[in-house]
Amino acid sequence: MNNKTKVLFVEDEKSVSNFVVTMLEANGYKGMSAATGREGVSMATSFCPDVVLLDLGLPDMDGCEVISQLRSWSKTPIIVISARTKELDKVTALDVGADDYITKPFGSAELMARIRTSLRHSHPETPDHVYKAQGLEINFEKRTVSICGRDIHLTQIEYRLLTLLAENSGRVLTYSFIMSTIWGPYIDDNNQILRVNMANIRRKIEKNPAQPQYVFTEVGVGYRMIENENV
Amino acid sequence: MNRKQRVLPILKQHLHSILYSLICLTAATLFSLLFREVIPEGTSNISAIYLLAVIIISRCTVKYIYGIASGLISVIFINFFFSYPYYRINFTLDFIVNLAVMLAASVFVCAMKANLAKQENMIKERERQLSEFKIEKLRANLLRAVSHDIRTPLTGIMGNSSLILEKGSILSETEKTALVTNIYEDSSWLLNMVENLLTITRIKGDKLSITVNEEPVEEVVAEALQKVKKRYPDSELRAVVPDELIMLPMDAVLIEQVIINLISNAIEHSGSSEYIDIIVRDTPHAVIFTVRDYGGGISPRMQEGLFEGSAYSDSGVSDAYKGMGIGLSICKTIITAHHGTIIGRNHSDGAEFIFTLPKE
Repeated sequence: MNNKTKVLFVEDEKSVSNFVVTMLEANGYKGMSAATGREGVSMATSFCPDVVLLDLGLPDMDGCEVISQLRSWSKTPIIVISARTKELDKVTALDVGADDYITKPFGSAELMARIRTSLRHSHPETPDHVYKAQGLEINFEKRTVSICGRDIHLTQIEYRLLTLLAENSGRVLTYSFIMSTIWGPYIDDNNQILRVNMANIRRKIEKNPAQPQYVFTEVGVGYRMIENENV
Repeated sequence: MNRKQRVLPILKQHLHSILYSLICLTAATLFSLLFREVIPEGTSNISAIYLLAVIIISRCTVKYIYGIASGLISVIFINFFFSYPYYRINFTLDFIVNLAVMLAASVFVCAMKANLAKQENMIKERERQLSEFKIEKLRANLLRAVSHDIRTPLTGIMGNSSLILEKGSILSETEKTALVTNIYEDSSWLLNMVENLLTITRIKGDKLSITVNEEPVEEVVAEALQKVKKRYPDSELRAVVPDELIMLPMDAVLIEQVIINLISNAIEHSGSSEYIDIIVRDTPHAVIFTVRDYGGGISPRMQEGLFEGSAYSDSGVSDAYKGMGIGLSICKTIITAHHGTIIGRNHSDGAEFIFTLPKE
């Protein structure tokens, strides 16, 4: 009875936190809300929620500050909710340790999908050997990629890029995270090389690069790969 | 701190003036010495050389003091170096005439300079007032149009929700779903409006401040299409981008908004549920984006002032094209800020909007 997944929502707007908690309860989660950053941190310490939803515009402290305080002791997935349209804020939040973000206003389906994704990545039940989505199949052990049974030939870098995105499928990965994971920490800020490689991958796996099925761009932030169906 | 900030530039101006005067006087003296060596008897021309130096100094230094001082020094130099008896000050009529001419010239030039500066300031002030007035007017018109545009969907939202609140018990499930769908549609329209308003807040003066980065065109188009698809799940979009990867300098968020606005317009105003084509073509100096629908086309009445839109005119807003004016005028503003062009026209089977972005 009491082992529902707990979701903590940190948000100062009463009307928003009301509807999100209702939404969470309706989807079978235990929803809790905190109105300030400080309250959010203390509730996170006492209740140990499974997911934290965090609004970036809090009255008492900066959202990024909340993230680093939580990250100092917990690996709980944090999904940042932001009304700000500035790309930089999202990128900063992701780089200080948030797992994903969602922009206000959002629909129920979108929020639930993000929560499911972050829960899955925090509790991998079985390590995935195969990624499958809409006909695309990546076999991590055999190091092969195919679409509807047809083999796709990728270069070393392209393969590593695609598997990095596939291992984190459903989550947005920032340019800087991808760059430092693939090319090491000393790569410069210019992400041209990443853009070019992504364009090549797109030409190999997507039917139409302007209407991608598998890898989506979040302009100014990073890339997101469609959810793994093989779980 | 504040006082220091105010004093420093003035000090700098004076230093600059002193340096300038010294250089001019030295140049005049050297030139005159040379002149005396070459033509020993032509010393009367030397006053003219110094006069020129004094006029230049009066024009290019601050206040009267440097002009007058240089005049004085010039007269003494002329008397001392270049008039008989040499190397001695000699109070003759020449000396007094020279002095009077130098001082008069210097004062005259300085007065002219001050007058000119005053007039320049006045013109600047007048221009500033004029542009402020224009911006104020633009803002007022915009606010009027926006309030009108926002009131329409809000009326829908309030009407529909109050109906559910008051008569919820006697409405059937299908009726309720229809009402809630209306609310949802109206609010997503409002959301789009807010995105456009956010762009307007970035307009400073009459210029849009943009942050330009090299972005892959296909990624920007893809994200725009994805957002349109989210808002209009039933829309049929066909996109064609070149095989080559194009990196184009642009403000990706704003260009995305242009594409979204154009496609939304095509969906809402073409009166057709046919495909909407989004075509990107690469040319040597620019990239051409086309959004083409297969509907009723642009009526001649709309064609006039299409991009100025109802939002910017005094004549009020026509309900038939709610929000269309503001969307297109924002597109125009964004594209102009990128030094590109945008046109809207009819083709044989509907309307198309074409915008180009330069590669430089």
